[in-house]
Amino acid sequence: MPRIPILMPQLGEAIAEAVVRSIRVKPQERVEGDQEVMEVETNKTNMGVTVPCRGKVVEIIAVLDASYPVGATLGYLEVTAADAARAGFKDPGPARGNRKAPANRRAAEPTNAKPGESTAGVHFQVHEEDTFTVAEPTGVRPTVGLPVPANATGATYLSPRMKARMQELGLNAADLSGIAGTGAGGRVTVEDFEKFVRQLDSHAQSDASPMRIAVADAMRRSCLRPLATVGRPVLLDRLLLHRKQSPNKPGPTLYVIRALAMAIAENTAVGGRLVGGKIIHPRSIDIGFAVEVDDGVLVPIIREVDNKPLREMVEPYNQLVKQAQSRKLSLEATGTGIATVTNFGTFGLVWATPIPLPEQNLVLGLGAGRKKPVWSDEVEAFVPATEAELTLSFDHRILDGGAAGRLLSRVADLLQRPETL
Amino acid sequence: MNVTYLDAIREAQAKALAQDERVFLYGQDIAGFGGAFKATKRLAEEFPGRVLDSPISEDAMVGLAIGAAIDGMRPIIEMQFADFSSLAFNQIVNQAGTHFYRTGVPVPFVIRLPSGGNKGSGPFHSQSLESLYAHFPGLVVLMPATVEDAYTMLLDAVQLDDPVIFCEHKLLYYHLKAEKLPTESLPIGKARIARAGTHATVVTASAMMHEALKAANQLAEESWDIEVVDLRSAKPIDTDTILASVARTGRILCVAESFPWGGLNAEVIARVVGEGFHLLDAPPLRLNSRDTPIPYHPNLWAAHRPTAASITTALRKLLGF
Amino acid sequence: MLLARVLEDKLASLYRSGKIVGGVYLGRGQEAFSAALAVHLDQSGGDVYAPLIRDMAGRLAFGEALIDPIRTYLGSPLGPMRGRDGNIHRGRPREGMLAMISHLGAMVSVVNGVLLSRRLRGIPGQVGAACVGDGATSTGAFHEAMNQAAVEKLPLVVAVANNQFAYSTPNDRQYACADLVDRAAGYGVMGYRCDGTDLEECLDTFGEAVRRARRGDGPQLVVGSLLRLSGHGEHDDASYVPASVRKSSLGGDCIELAAKLLLERGWADDADLATWRSEAVGQVEEVLEQVVSEPLPDPMGETWCALSVRHLCEGNLGA
Repeated sequence: MPRIPILMPQLGEAIAEAVVRSIRVKPQERVEGDQEVMEVETNKTNMGVTVPCRGKVVEIIAVLDASYPVGATLGYLEVTAADAARAGFKDPGPARGNRKAPANRRAAEPTNAKPGESTAGVHFQVHEEDTFTVAEPTGVRPTVGLPVPANATGATYLSPRMKARMQELGLNAADLSGIAGTGAGGRVTVEDFEKFVRQLDSHAQSDASPMRIAVADAMRRSCLRPLATVGRPVLLDRLLLHRKQSPNKPGPTLYVIRALAMAIAENTAVGGRLVGGKIIHPRSIDIGFAVEVDDGVLVPIIREVDNKPLREMVEPYNQLVKQAQSRKLSLEATGTGIATVTNFGTFGLVWATPIPLPEQNLVLGLGAGRKKPVWSDEVEAFVPATEAELTLSFDHRILDGGAAGRLLSRVADLLQRPETL
Repeated sequence: MNVTYLDAIREAQAKALAQDERVFLYGQDIAGFGGAFKATKRLAEEFPGRVLDSPISEDAMVGLAIGAAIDGMRPIIEMQFADFSSLAFNQIVNQAGTHFYRTGVPVPFVIRLPSGGNKGSGPFHSQSLESLYAHFPGLVVLMPATVEDAYTMLLDAVQLDDPVIFCEHKLLYYHLKAEKLPTESLPIGKARIARAGTHATVVTASAMMHEALKAANQLAEESWDIEVVDLRSAKPIDTDTILASVARTGRILCVAESFPWGGLNAEVIARVVGEGFHLLDAPPLRLNSRDTPIPYHPNLWAAHRPTAASITTALRKLLGF
Repeated sequence: MLLARVLEDKLASLYRSGKIVGGVYLGRGQEAFSAALAVHLDQSGGDVYAPLIRDMAGRLAFGEALIDPIRTYLGSPLGPMRGRDGNIHRGRPREGMLAMISHLGAMVSVVNGVLLSRRLRGIPGQVGAACVGDGATSTGAFHEAMNQAAVEKLPLVVAVANNQFAYSTPNDRQYACADLVDRAAGYGVMGYRCDGTDLEECLDTFGEAVRRARRGDGPQLVVGSLLRLSGHGEHDDASYVPASVRKSSLGGDCIELAAKLLLERGWADDADLATWRSEAVGQVEEVLEQVVSEPLPDPMGETWCALSVRHLCEGNLGA
């Protein structure tokens, strides 16, 4: 026959336990449903403990004057399966007794404790047996972390704290490209970041110059745009001949500057910037040129190049180069141009993909000239010629490859007629 | 000697009565009967004429306390259950809360609210109303989580020159024990770091503080180091201590037993986001009871309010960001 | 009574000229009933008084300085409410005059609290008075407080000015008992009824009620029948009051009736009455002239603190 427990009832609001004051039945005694079998005392009241259905008392666990928590098993009844089911015990048996192990443990060591006393002398203790341990609710999707924006991998998504820390240390998102993120979606967490920063301390370090930092800043900003580069060869012989015959010997870069300005003047949109839904055309065609200086690059500006013949610009150009090299450029010469010419050929390079300045759309590059055999229709033979690569890097939002190619070809054409420059 | 949270409240009232003749107790069943929870047991005998049974008139109970406070007394009102204080809402928020600002005359009294859920207590004997009262100006709202705080904060509350809503947690009454009554305490309005940690901050109070500690201990087995801030005071909120904690951890979870819409958790998060946005490495989270009346059956009740298990789940979510 | 009437006429005029914001609530027609209670109270002796919306006469009779209502209506920072509360929501709680809140019936238990405090402090012989109207008798707060006072046998006098309408709601939609004074028996307190337009009867009735309360007979409930001779506020023309009610004995003007009585008994002549009125007008004008030249409340100088314990204030979180 099934056994069902005699339980310490809930005795009132917030009452956790009660003391057994009398036990009115003995083992093997038969009891009726709702019969009071014990009397218990709380610090609020005295109360009878009843049994839920008729049966035979088979075990009394409770000890007189000992305190038991609400829900503790005070004894067992043996009842018929039908009575047990009617009383709401689906699975009566020893298992229930085991679940109430703390009560049994207490019963084994009865004390004369009054309600409200405890043997545990720990501050802030909540008695485990008095509180519910609830299983994780079923049917809830497993948690995989809070949502992060798509493609949050690495340092593309920065938490407010990450941003604040980076600002504090003067770092940019690009500086964090080497950190593998361990956060949701692979994002870099502050823990990842701090680990990275600590790890940097183990390396030799030197301060970057202000020039280096300025160039880095400009390049980082520029690369926020989709940039592309096109290139084509150009023959320099006529240019070089014209230069030889000119009294003030303009440099090859100046030819390219003038040619580029004239080409842009034919359609100023190509020198413009895209802001929102509008192309912002340049007010005047001011062209810069790159001058290498110690640990960086300076870009002096020549104003309104489309309105100035080549020969008039030679002297000012030479002045600007000197001023740049000695870092004594005037304010007028350090403003914002609409395009830059860089003669990377001076480093022996034949091809490069320079990055336009952040406020400009275009950077035109000139590679080193090389002697090449070129077919001559006049002499019907290969003749030596000087050829260099022209490159044009641009903001692909404004120009496409075709437009960029046409602009570059126009520059190449103009360089074939240096006398018109 | 073992002292329960309830003993501490009883002893604090005894001490307040003994040391300050302005103090008297007024509430339902608190005199000879000693209170529904025995928080005033034998006090009527020890302090004749100063522990008074009131009619079942919550509005008039608080009105009377306000009048007595205006006249220089320091009444302590016992609401039989926090839930019933809604019947005194007008006196609390419109009379007590406005009085000092309007007239310049403070109204020092304490309303004790036996708060929070318990097995089988159901919709009308389980509520946590701290957020409700904290919303209104002119009230101080306290939420002791420990035996020590129950004792010292009640004594401090009686001495405070402003109305205090003292939210005691019924679940802690008999369950929470300490070796002895404390001799010193943090001042009113200061939060306490109940557990130091570095990976995430849990801001909580009252019974939920113990659930949060359990969750923190469980996560400690997985090498997570959780800091638990026991607010102690719902109003004022100790924003400095919270921000200092978030500065250490970068992550915050607020846990409260009150209903989810608005309230203490939302307030704490609003302050952290507003004043400490740059400290956050993860979106702030909160965990409240559900937005339904508090259910009767223990199975439903236990799933209605935050528990160590649900706090652990929320913390895992927070730590996984 | 006369000063109250003159003052309120002036306040109504200031409201209509845009000098007073919010509202002006007049006790016109209720001066006799209101003042008759307050003259029996002893402010300096520690009596406590909780006036309501139509108790300008009672307030002045209790001892309120004329400048307090004027400063409060004009929001002067020098007044007792310092611009933080206005019009009838004023008081000086430390001097025995409680500051009403708008919620009807709510002040009665506060008076109970003061009276219980006096008992606990061992101060005998002081009484408390609370004023309500017919509308407030329908609130739970009123019922709770009456019952509470009766249980504690507090020396409380409650004046119910039954002016027949709660705002626009007539008595037959407010209560169903034959007479509000019947409720006294239900609470186990002494009940009185009187003609609220008859100053002499009001004085006699309140004299008895206050005397009994003072000697320890417990709460006293006095119901006076009268009619509000104005709207709920100056914005209300009271067109809902039927002409028949206006013309009935309820609609008598207590001040005119009192003047008539003085003349009949030979206690004053027309010249006296005219002098009293012009003196009242002079006093009101003089104080008003002073108050209008006073500074206005300054938001920058405001503490924005609703707690007396300043370091616990969170008053500057908003705005």
